[in-house]
Amino acid sequence: MFKSIDDVIAQLAAQKYICSRRIATVVYLAAHLEKPILIEGPAGVGKTELAKVLAAALGLELIRLQCYEGLDEAKALYEWEYAKQLLYTQILKDKISEVVGAAVSLKEAVDRIAREDDVFFSDRFILPRPLLRSIQSPQRTVLLVDEIDKADTEFEAFLLEVLSDFTVSVPELGTLRARHIPLVILTSNNAREMSDALKRRCLHLYIDFPPAAQELEIIRLKVPGISDALAAQVIDAVQRVRKLDLKKVPSISETLDWAKTLTLLNVDQLDESVVNDTLSTILKYEGDIRKAQEELKAFLEKRKGSAGPGVADDKEFLH
Amino acid sequence: MDAKFIDFTGLLRENGLRVSIAEHLDAFRAVEFLGVADREVLKSILRATMVKRSVDVPIYDELFDLYFCGLGRIIRRSAESLMGAMQLSEADFQALMDRLSDVLEELDIELSELAQALLQNDMGRLEQMLREAAARAHVENIQRPFQEGRYSHSTAQHLGLGALAEELQRLRDQIGSANLPPEQLQALQQFIDRRLQDLNDMIKRAVRLEVEKRDQSLREKNRLANLAEKSFYYLSEDEIRRMKEAVAKLAQRLKNVVAIRRRKAKRGKFDVKDTLRKNLQYGGVPFRIQFDRRVRDKPQVIILCDVSDSVRNVSRFMLQFVYSLQDLYSRVRSFIFVSELGEITQLFEESEISDAIDQALTGNVINVFAHSDFGRAFRQFHRDYLAAVNKKTTVIILGDARNNYNLPQEWVLRDVRQRAKQLIWLNPESRLTWGFGDSEMDRYLPYCDVVEECRNLNQLYRVIDHLVH
Repeated sequence: MFKSIDDVIAQLAAQKYICSRRIATVVYLAAHLEKPILIEGPAGVGKTELAKVLAAALGLELIRLQCYEGLDEAKALYEWEYAKQLLYTQILKDKISEVVGAAVSLKEAVDRIAREDDVFFSDRFILPRPLLRSIQSPQRTVLLVDEIDKADTEFEAFLLEVLSDFTVSVPELGTLRARHIPLVILTSNNAREMSDALKRRCLHLYIDFPPAAQELEIIRLKVPGISDALAAQVIDAVQRVRKLDLKKVPSISETLDWAKTLTLLNVDQLDESVVNDTLSTILKYEGDIRKAQEELKAFLEKRKGSAGPGVADDKEFLH
Repeated sequence: MDAKFIDFTGLLRENGLRVSIAEHLDAFRAVEFLGVADREVLKSILRATMVKRSVDVPIYDELFDLYFCGLGRIIRRSAESLMGAMQLSEADFQALMDRLSDVLEELDIELSELAQALLQNDMGRLEQMLREAAARAHVENIQRPFQEGRYSHSTAQHLGLGALAEELQRLRDQIGSANLPPEQLQALQQFIDRRLQDLNDMIKRAVRLEVEKRDQSLREKNRLANLAEKSFYYLSEDEIRRMKEAVAKLAQRLKNVVAIRRRKAKRGKFDVKDTLRKNLQYGGVPFRIQFDRRVRDKPQVIILCDVSDSVRNVSRFMLQFVYSLQDLYSRVRSFIFVSELGEITQLFEESEISDAIDQALTGNVINVFAHSDFGRAFRQFHRDYLAAVNKKTTVIILGDARNNYNLPQEWVLRDVRQRAKQLIWLNPESRLTWGFGDSEMDRYLPYCDVVEECRNLNQLYRVIDHLVH
């Protein structure tokens, strides 16, 4: 378990995840107060990654529930294995008639079966899905409910019981209580506003695109072969592109892809032709690419004019 | 400290943030757990536990700074400005205060707590005393800026400013008898005078801070509530910008509502045939129950927007609203007109909503500076696009029907209505003015299924809600 906020930062950094103090504070609180975290923010800022990294840092199992429209309890919580139950009744036919055989009346036969009915609704035939699994797990787990905004509102309401009490009601078995309270992380891309009831039960964390300095640190960590000058140029270009009015702004993972591509191509400095050739790694729409090309062209020319040939100093890129 | 949190939470609520009791308790637990020593951590804690909507974050940030850093900042600034006025560096300032305490010791003078805090620039203590005095003067009840004077006076009284003034006056005379070079003595006396004045300023600023807290909350609340009711005609530039956000938000809400409605409507009666078929795999034992699924036609919409000067704003929001909801319809075709008609459907397919609207309204499609001529535009629609209207189509016309005394050509509407599912006319003018002057509303009215006044966002919402129902 984490000892302090700084410890959180250090342990996540050891897993190659750079986070701000704000994020670390919320994680630390969540781990100690045993409250779920609801993470919101644009796509590709490392929301899901945070959960994975947390699990790795704490050495816990990560159980992931990917949400989608139409997700229901059977897929999220548990399901009775009907087919297996049917198969068993078929196989055990002889045994059943043995049990019922001696009964004289229909009522007695039903009573006898009733005495045995627990057999078919027991742990043997229950198929645990992610939520039940994380609650029943003998060790503490990290439960990631990914893209909760994609699920229906009903499902959200259903999650409330799990999130506030960490219990699950199975009508046939009663209420199952968590052996260890899992560290729950919900992520949302803001496709719709989550209900207040859900938000009330969670700590809220908004992750935005990181400032230039922090993103630079991320690139250096994740793309080891990159030169400092190129890394700075890439970050500066990406931060500029993000300010444009685009259909889809480049995320951190796309920035990393771009940096990797550039190092693979042995580029040591951004220029117009390189940018035009590789811009498709960070932008996925034709219109966006055209806009970004114009912006970067102007920017590259201006830089060339002011800094002259060769590598300009880092400060200028970072502002 | 607890009382302070409760007060702060109250302030958040006043500003439209919804903080439940459970969240408030969470905040308490979290603060208890991590302490209040680090202001940034405190800010993160309170934000994580109490501020759950990202739209609220800027308001929260502002209030937090105002509330938790405001008074401290006032006291610090006051000391800084004093240093500036006396042209002292920080070290000089400290030396001056040390010299003063030496003199006090030498003369064996015991100062009151307040005088000590003030003359030693003990900011923590000063802040605490100011806060207590303000609380006793009930400054939190202040509502209007003109009450500042009264509350400042009352705070000063509770702080004991009168006694302090006398005390400092006495002190000023006493240190005259100390063994000091004249220029040092003068500096000290100047320092004492200035500090008294500073305290006065601090009190005034502290009270004003309170006004700002309250005042801002009032302003904010009024703005949000009124925007939806405000007539489109009287929007300022800034309001138009914020209106766009409001429209987007409303559209999202409507989408959610409709999604729920449709899901509920989908579940029909028990379907025997389908249930039997689905359960063949379980040997005919009905484990899975099937229901009828009712299929609903998504509405098709044709919009005709008047974009002449007088109704351009309404058209803008109407278009934005409809296009934010595009996936609720099977097809939307939109036209704009002033005196000639132009189709903008493709424009909307190819570019972003706000871009497309801007392009449509700046004259790239039709001449937007002509005089309105509904009749001509309608005739053109009849000639070129009548075939697009079928019995699934809802036709919406948005315009004020001010026709500049041209021919109204209302027979077009008759034809359109015969073919369409329904014809809706939205008029951004007040119902009372319809039919007066060059308004041809009375002539068009008989041919419409629904005629609504549509002057503000709430009315627009109701109309569109009705449309997708």
